[in-house]
Amino acid sequence: MVTTGLSVVEAARETLAARERGATVVVALVLDGPCAGARRLRIRERSGEGGPRNHSVGALGHPHLEGLVDGLLHDALDGEPLSARSSEAGTRTVVLPGTTTEVPVYLERTRPPSGLLIVGAGHIAEPLHLQGALLGFRVTVADDRPDFADPARFPRAHRVVRIDFTDPFDQIERADRSHVILVTRGHRYDYECLRRLVVEDPLPEYIGMIGSRRRVRATFHQLLEEGVPRAALERIRAPVGLDLGAETPGEIAVAVAAEWVAIARGGSGRPMVEVERVAERFFPDEADDARK
Amino acid sequence: MRESDEHLNVLRTLVEGAERGEPMVVATIVRTRGSTPRKEGARMVVGADGRVRAGTVGGGCGEGEVLEAAARTLSDGQSRTVRVDLTEDLLTLSPAVCGGIMEIRVERA
Repeated sequence: MVTTGLSVVEAARETLAARERGATVVVALVLDGPCAGARRLRIRERSGEGGPRNHSVGALGHPHLEGLVDGLLHDALDGEPLSARSSEAGTRTVVLPGTTTEVPVYLERTRPPSGLLIVGAGHIAEPLHLQGALLGFRVTVADDRPDFADPARFPRAHRVVRIDFTDPFDQIERADRSHVILVTRGHRYDYECLRRLVVEDPLPEYIGMIGSRRRVRATFHQLLEEGVPRAALERIRAPVGLDLGAETPGEIAVAVAAEWVAIARGGSGRPMVEVERVAERFFPDEADDARK
Repeated sequence: MRESDEHLNVLRTLVEGAERGEPMVVATIVRTRGSTPRKEGARMVVGADGRVRAGTVGGGCGEGEVLEAAARTLSDGQSRTVRVDLTEDLLTLSPAVCGGIMEIRVERA
């Protein structure tokens, strides 16, 4: 059979271009049976763009199989986990109509980058923006001080913006601030940001604020006095980060980023050695001996 | 967060390789069972010289078998599926004591 569909390189090119314009892509690769090795992909454009919202690329040349693959692609675009262990990739099986032929189809989803806005371009923002970029965020750094809001200090940022705290988000698109972390130099700046963020609809997926217990308490107190409901405050993660005993900016950035991963992946944040307890579970006698 | 740098690096490496006209191979984990070092979607790009250009499918655990398959695909152009069984090595001194099974699709890019 002549190979149909897209090549792996064509699929990669389409995926990168679509991601760049904020679209979600699912690639299907037929692993066996008719059309083995063929790729077809489906793109969901970001809402608000002109033209059709969903479209497919790469004809499989087998109408029945193509229909079944389109069904898989359609469901995968809706965001369901694609396998038990990996939310963004996995293999499904379809059965060709009127036969018992099972065709395995590998699916892989690529979503547009989530936007991470770092408010406050001080010494923590530098390693923090690197961590954000490493995790695949499209990072924006914002500060009102021109010396700090300097792109040269943030080589991995998508954008570095000079803002005015009287209206801190007016120049930053919603998609670029689905995740917001406040690392400003003072509690009144945190307050100015939070009082706007907690009333947004929809709320950002993540709102985090660094700070001491005292600073967090002072900010929350002020928001409550202004009439912000308690439920809204509960959406703010503050202070941020896992308890690593971090002290330096680099260490703090690791602690904050580690918590981002734990939130996204549903991790507990506990040490693996305690989660797995390999020695205790598999060598009980030795562990008992060691305790004696 | 959902899109790691690694995934994008693999896609970019494939596109750039094609622009240079370099034959490359991409290996993708398409199915796993049990405990494997990487999950579905992890990939590795191997260059014409047989060296890894981007990504990984699990380091010591099974990567040798994948590199052998990549060399065959580089020379014959045929796609193949490699089944890497990491369970049988549990009691040996092999470094591949990861404990699962993974199916890896190896394709010419």
